[in-house]
Amino acid sequence: MDPIEIGLWVSGGMLLMVVLGMRVAFAAAMAGLIGLIWIFWAKKGMEWDQLGWALTVAIKTAGQVPHSKVSSQTLSLIPTFILIGFLAYYAGLTKAIFEAAKRWFAWVPGGLAVSTVFATAGFAAVSGASVATAAVFARIAIPEMLKIGYNKQFAAGVVAAGGTLASLIPPSAILVIYAIIVEQDVGKLLLAGFIPGAFSAVVYAILIIGIAMIWKNVGPPVTGFTWRERFASLPAALPIVAVVVIIIFFVYNPFGDAWGTPTEGGAVGAFIVFCMAVFRGMRLAELKDALLETAKLTVMIFTIIWGVLIYVRFLGFADLPGAFAEWISSLETSPMLILICILLAYAVLGMFMDAIGMLLLTLPVVYPAVMALNGGEFVSAADSAFGMSGPMCAIWFGILVVKMAEFCLITPPIGLNCFVVAGVRPDLSVQDVFRGVMPFFVADAVTIGLLVAFPQIVLWLPSLAG
Amino acid sequence: TEWNASVWGKRRAFTEHVEKIAELVSEKTNGEFTINVSYGGLSKNRENLDGISIGAFEMAQFCAGYHADKNRAITVLELPFLGVSNLEEEVAVSRAVYAHPAVAKEMAQWNAKMLMTSPMPQYNLVGTGDPRTTLEDFDGMRVRATGGLGKAFEAVGAVPTSVTSSEAYNAMESGVVDTVAFAQHAHLSFGTINKADWWTANLNPGTVNCPVVVNIDAYEALSDAEREALDGSVDEALDHYLANYGELLERWDTVLEEKGVEKVEFSPEVIAEFKAKAADPAREAWIKDMEAQGIPGQELYDLVIETLEKEQASN
Amino acid sequence: MAGSSAVLEDSSILSRLDRGLLKLETFFALISGIAVFMLMVLAVWSVGGRKFFASPLAGYVDWIEAAMPFIAIMGIAYTQRMGGHVRMDILIGQLKGRALWAAELLSVVLILLLMLALTWGAWAHFDRSFDMGAPMWSRDSSIDIGLPIWPSKLVVPVAFAVISLRLCLQIWGYGRALVLGLERPVAVPLVQSAAEQAMAEAEQLDGRD
Ligand code: NA
Ligand code: NA
Repeated sequence: MDPIEIGLWVSGGMLLMVVLGMRVAFAAAMAGLIGLIWIFWAKKGMEWDQLGWALTVAIKTAGQVPHSKVSSQTLSLIPTFILIGFLAYYAGLTKAIFEAAKRWFAWVPGGLAVSTVFATAGFAAVSGASVATAAVFARIAIPEMLKIGYNKQFAAGVVAAGGTLASLIPPSAILVIYAIIVEQDVGKLLLAGFIPGAFSAVVYAILIIGIAMIWKNVGPPVTGFTWRERFASLPAALPIVAVVVIIIFFVYNPFGDAWGTPTEGGAVGAFIVFCMAVFRGMRLAELKDALLETAKLTVMIFTIIWGVLIYVRFLGFADLPGAFAEWISSLETSPMLILICILLAYAVLGMFMDAIGMLLLTLPVVYPAVMALNGGEFVSAADSAFGMSGPMCAIWFGILVVKMAEFCLITPPIGLNCFVVAGVRPDLSVQDVFRGVMPFFVADAVTIGLLVAFPQIVLWLPSLAG
Repeated sequence: TEWNASVWGKRRAFTEHVEKIAELVSEKTNGEFTINVSYGGLSKNRENLDGISIGAFEMAQFCAGYHADKNRAITVLELPFLGVSNLEEEVAVSRAVYAHPAVAKEMAQWNAKMLMTSPMPQYNLVGTGDPRTTLEDFDGMRVRATGGLGKAFEAVGAVPTSVTSSEAYNAMESGVVDTVAFAQHAHLSFGTINKADWWTANLNPGTVNCPVVVNIDAYEALSDAEREALDGSVDEALDHYLANYGELLERWDTVLEEKGVEKVEFSPEVIAEFKAKAADPAREAWIKDMEAQGIPGQELYDLVIETLEKEQASN
Repeated sequence: MAGSSAVLEDSSILSRLDRGLLKLETFFALISGIAVFMLMVLAVWSVGGRKFFASPLAGYVDWIEAAMPFIAIMGIAYTQRMGGHVRMDILIGQLKGRALWAAELLSVVLILLLMLALTWGAWAHFDRSFDMGAPMWSRDSSIDIGLPIWPSKLVVPVAFAVISLRLCLQIWGYGRALVLGLERPVAVPLVQSAAEQAMAEAEQLDGRD
């Protein structure tokens, strides 16, 4: 059997294991290990007396991967970003930012909903995880919206959708994971996330204002905040600004040499939030909880990472990504149409899978294909299919898939953000939240369409960084 | 027979001899013996020796400085200021050292056999800001330099900061390092030259040593004709490598001019002072350290110097 | 996707073993969390040293790389105990009673086989970097400051051995539930409905803002 055939069988087997409910990390590692055994054995002509050799070599090859792949300075961004998010609760940043957003933006039609979207976007700048953001704002923002007569389903939908912004706007664990898998510059990817994230928030806000103007009872504006009150709300939210500024300056300093690597920026951001939390009276027991939770989430993500990378190591021996890329670029269809088909496939896959698992499982094969479609990793903008150089295409596609992955957090039947919002509010069923979030599908579709049509939205900031 | 060769990065001057040997071997055996070159798909670069030891692939490239404890004996070739001045000399000293029994014995621990070197020119610095021209200027300098080279700069007060080669541009841009030591091809392919204000033309502090090895069992399992094809192609592959690198070096001055990079020349006094401060203690420490572990350090060092003198005399 | 689940307890031997092992797992997870904290401190120190005192931390990258296996792998058994490794439970969530326990049992048996193989493979990786006869027992060292790598390589097979123990307990737990036809077995993470699970997550966040 040739390696590519083995690659297809093993990949199919892995998807089956995942669908049947095996934990994703172990399903991927298992598929990778079996694939390696198979490929080494096939190399020796599948002779029975060679099976022992193939087993040993495959197990030793797979056994290298966990240590080898997690020992990376770039990946150390992930635990730091997770830690920032947990510390932010203790620092009281969530309430502070919602209060500020309310005082500044609630006067427009659908005002509180618009404020909620901007508050989630602001919180996204210290939180790397969408689900946590949705859970927090379900507690803070929904009660206030209901108090002034908002439609219950709509209020829940706003929070579920707003939560998704956390993975686009840095810090973002998922963008780091993308960068690692495709071996691209983490700093530029993080920079690239800012504008599309803010852009998504603005599209959400416009949608809400439109809805509120058509159906008057959806959400009345809240007025009467004085300028003094507005400015008084800012200091408590200040650490968020500090974290954003720090991350930007570490990655790209417009006034001269940057300050350090994104990894260091993340760590300094976490340190500021930590100081803030201590200042607000965080106790040692709470710190211990935060560290345990950070460890649990970190280990969960890293287990998927090394599990999938065992599978990727097998793919390397089978050369499946190369074959797939060749096949895709040999198609007669227009590259843009293929890209759109790939994005649609993500939308379907994402209905059933979580974001990190989905990206990790598919990118090793899909990413080289997209790069080949554009004309290769080192293509210049002039010779490329999408009108951008290889590295820029990598960034653009990264933001597109992360936005797709975020979209999947609010689509039925498995829309994690909707589950979380319904879970936090006993008076809301999952169906209620899905109904309320429906308008935001339109907003997301519009956003993705615009990001595809106008790549400059994504690429402007990273292109400044050289 | 089908072999896999594990290298890393992308195809570049540094991997041309591996590509060439694959081509030659296939030609000479009428396609009976093929070598697939994989750029990073089979292993992480720092674990290529592990992969050879396991038997996961049959050929691999690695650099001694990545993991000195895995390959102590050949680190002699990374000592600072050995006096190697061109690629031909680098090939000659590497060949002599690789043939030494102490090296063969250490490589056998990894089930590996030396095939050929990947000769690298001297690792001169590119830097940002004002050119550094005296030893005092090196104090507190954050330099991306690995292995023996890193130690040499440390001896004059610099701080070696290893980022991987692919992160070197970023590290320079973000100020994590302010100078990077690379061979010319790497300054080009990793983009550090685009960030540079100056380049040290004659510092010649040393280089890294990156052998290509084969798995012993796989090598012995080859048919006589295949083994002959492999061994017989080494010289031709290296000639191809040298010719290819030569073209690149010829382009180098033009590149410096285009990018507006200043050529910094050190006075002989400064270089002598650097050598005294960095090279002599490093060499003595290295020899002492190796002898204590039962590796003939003095003998290896003398072998390098003798070979170098012979090579220089013959030209 | 299941994030976390509930584990029931009683006074049986199985449950006592479960809680005993949990102590070790929690200790390991805490090491991992503290290592994240140290990572943060180290980065601040490194940046501060470079920016304000012109004395950058030597070997910063080497230290981080050495710390990462502690951060990323030591807590693997704790996460498995809590049912924290994600999976797609759209199908398995529909099962009840013996069918559910059979499916769970099959899954943990497969994972145990995998982890035993990887424990061996990771041990071999450690073993190649360890040499009793060498200085600091090191046969593999880091790039900048020559730190021996074997200690961080050793973390992996140790953590994998602990999760293998955990998987043995879970095989016992699910096997018992399958044989006895239990409804709420002890010592194994129970599948929660998405709503229950979200509620539990929300409770965790309680009082944090
Ligand atoms: Na974020
Ligand atoms: Na979904």
